[in-house]
Amino acid sequence: MSNLILNGLANGILYGGGLALLAVGMNLIFGVLNVIHLAYGQCVMVALYAVYVFAVLLHLPLLVSCVIAVGISALLALLIHVAVVNPLLKAPLINQLLALAGVMIVLENIILAVFGSDYLGIQISFPVFAIGDVYIKISSLIPFGVGIATLALLWLFLNRTYTGLAIRAIVQDRDMAELMGVQTGRVYWVTFAIGGILAGVVAACFAPIYTVHPHFGAGFTLTAFVIVVLGGLGNLLGGSIAAFLIGVISQVTGVVFTSEIGEILVYAIFIIFILFRPQGLLGARVRT
Amino acid sequence: MLQVEGVSAGYGKFNILSHISIKVDDGTTVIMVGSNGAGKSTLLKAISGVVPPASGTIHFNGQRIDGCPPHRIVELGIALVPEGGRIFSELTVYENLKMGSYPSSARREFAGSLQQVFQLFPLLKDRKKQMAGSLSGGERQMLAIARALMTKPQLIMLDEPSSGLAPKIVAKVFEFVATIKAQGYSILMVEQNVLKAVGLAEYAYLLETGTLVYEGEKQEFLKNPKIRASYLGL
Amino acid sequence: MKRGTRLLYPAVLCGLFLFLLIAPFRLPLYGTHIFILIFIWSAVATAWSYMARFGVVSLGHGAVLGIGAYTTALLFNYYGVSPLIGMLIGGVLSVIYFAGIGYFCFRFGVIGHYFAVTTLVQVMMVYLLIIYFRDFSGGSLGLTVNSLGTNPLFFQFHSKTHFYFIALAFLLLTLYVWKKIHQSRIRRAMTAIDNDEAAAASIGIPIVKYKTMVTAISAFFTAIGGVIYAQYMMTLHPDVLSSVDASLGIAFKAILGGMYTLWGPFVGATLIIGLEEYFRVVHGATLIGWSVAAYGIVIIVLVIFFPKGLHGTLKEVLEKKRNE
Repeated sequence: MSNLILNGLANGILYGGGLALLAVGMNLIFGVLNVIHLAYGQCVMVALYAVYVFAVLLHLPLLVSCVIAVGISALLALLIHVAVVNPLLKAPLINQLLALAGVMIVLENIILAVFGSDYLGIQISFPVFAIGDVYIKISSLIPFGVGIATLALLWLFLNRTYTGLAIRAIVQDRDMAELMGVQTGRVYWVTFAIGGILAGVVAACFAPIYTVHPHFGAGFTLTAFVIVVLGGLGNLLGGSIAAFLIGVISQVTGVVFTSEIGEILVYAIFIIFILFRPQGLLGARVRT
Repeated sequence: MLQVEGVSAGYGKFNILSHISIKVDDGTTVIMVGSNGAGKSTLLKAISGVVPPASGTIHFNGQRIDGCPPHRIVELGIALVPEGGRIFSELTVYENLKMGSYPSSARREFAGSLQQVFQLFPLLKDRKKQMAGSLSGGERQMLAIARALMTKPQLIMLDEPSSGLAPKIVAKVFEFVATIKAQGYSILMVEQNVLKAVGLAEYAYLLETGTLVYEGEKQEFLKNPKIRASYLGL
Repeated sequence: MKRGTRLLYPAVLCGLFLFLLIAPFRLPLYGTHIFILIFIWSAVATAWSYMARFGVVSLGHGAVLGIGAYTTALLFNYYGVSPLIGMLIGGVLSVIYFAGIGYFCFRFGVIGHYFAVTTLVQVMMVYLLIIYFRDFSGGSLGLTVNSLGTNPLFFQFHSKTHFYFIALAFLLLTLYVWKKIHQSRIRRAMTAIDNDEAAAASIGIPIVKYKTMVTAISAFFTAIGGVIYAQYMMTLHPDVLSSVDASLGIAFKAILGGMYTLWGPFVGATLIIGLEEYFRVVHGATLIGWSVAAYGIVIIVLVIFFPKGLHGTLKEVLEKKRNE
């Protein structure tokens, strides 16, 4: 049993790494544009298919395929921003949500139409090494490293560049940022594109581990938002920590009980936090 | 330098301002006084581009600016210090100032502006790594003014800089304003605290329920019996 | 209005009314089936709009459908309780559950985006619970209602005609309730709350009470709709009732027609069910992905260009013309 739990723990940390990137993307998009990207999980799914197409169908090296997939993901994000999100920035909340739900449907079904509903996998075998009774797969460790590196790069961007500073300012006080000369329209699409890049990196991380199918990713969106709330809106460090917590909790619970219970537990945690501690574990960085 | 002509502005169908015309000459300090709801803040918002005027024109250095978006107006050299300062509380003092030099015209001169600001307000230099949210009311106002300076403006607009502050701090805030006035900036200040504000100004306007009811040079303003009765408590 | 147009409007209405009365006796079974679906879903969409028109957006109404339907079906299958009674129990349970969640959210100031996501989260939880208790509920294999043939006391009818009129009556009921809410103080209070919650609170409007009230009314009628649907189809499935897709589907139907008007949800439901059937019948299984993707694009386009919904926009245009 403890063996099972340990493996759940290990998987949870690695899963948490991917979730952390997603949560950061969701956090930025929500903080800057005040939009919940309901179709975010589907964007990851499309990027995964991109990796599949380039690596398996076109026989390009995995690394190259992943880089291309990140690019495609960024482009998809820009397309969604221009076509759907931007026109609805001032629209009522329900319209934004439903339009993004429409994007969910479009992405899932185009992929379904083109690739069918079979589970597709990128068959690459990486070595596995053991620490005691726990098996650690290199295929999980590399993505973990990539995830941390991406987060570090993002941190640098947000804290050392003017655009990053503008993003952090908008999250706190949009109007004041405008009065400082920030062109919010530009920052919006930059933020959305960053979200797309992060989704692409998540896909690259998940490619060696998961098999992909059109319904993949639907569950991630909600989990990512749960993490955003848990970590505190606008608080990227909090979000990262929350991601690992959620990753571990859901994987360990899933192993000890069933995967349904794992998911239900995550959602229950969300409801408790949204009611009693909406600023999350470490406090929100946004003036609500 | 700043010429506002016949501007009416408001939110939606309600015009808070009706046909206001004011001007600010280069290097002078102009104040606008009036009680709550008179429309003073709305005028500053109209000038800074946050609220587009429903009618009338605004010219800055001969260029027409009404209808321009806020970031364009900052680039042209008008900075607004809104009521309460509205500093970014989750950024450090240093980052707030850096945010001030976001406009491309100001960015190149960031180092120089920072030095100037630290000279004028040494307290900010000491606190530069501190979270802006932990500053006191008066210090926030100082930071807000300093941040406005970082945008390399020609005209600085202040919206009720003394509002919500204790009397001792109010005096300090007006000292800050005097400091930047001494540096040669043009200032347009909106205030309810007429007595202290008029002391700094060359010219004053009185706004009541959206229309200008009086304007004049400082001395005349202070001599006007109605103003003395209603606003100076004399 | 000219005299000609004054006569036109009631004439069209009468014609429509007659058509609806005769339809089930004249149309092929498939046609009647489509009407039943339209009636049920427009009623549910109308019930959804009781909340949504005031800015209380639920993206999880499927959970209510599920709780109402499953409660009734399980009580009947396992305990022989008539769905006529089970319906009321299911309705009450749904209200307690959904308005309960609503109450806590409203009390703790969970609004807007956060409320919408909370409703999404709760429908996922209900979905997962139904799957988890598969031995009892049938899980993802679904649940079949034990058939008694035609038995009005147990809300089972062999012929579609009965369900046609039941569904129609239910739709008219939900429309009537819409009108009642529209004319009541609930509407005035909720409009104030929607415009500016802080201001409404400061003039003494009990925010939590009114929000919970519309949520409860909405939940009750949605649950009944779920029961009627389950009894008509004689099967229940979490993907159809208590899923995110179903919840979003309800919202789509209301919004596309126009969730601020009386007939908006009906128009929207007709349009969407019509579209769904068209794509399914004409393009069928060969183009399944593309047709649903097209449906998604239609939704996006309609939401962007007709934010008040088709009926809502039409109403606006007509009113503008009338005022000229």
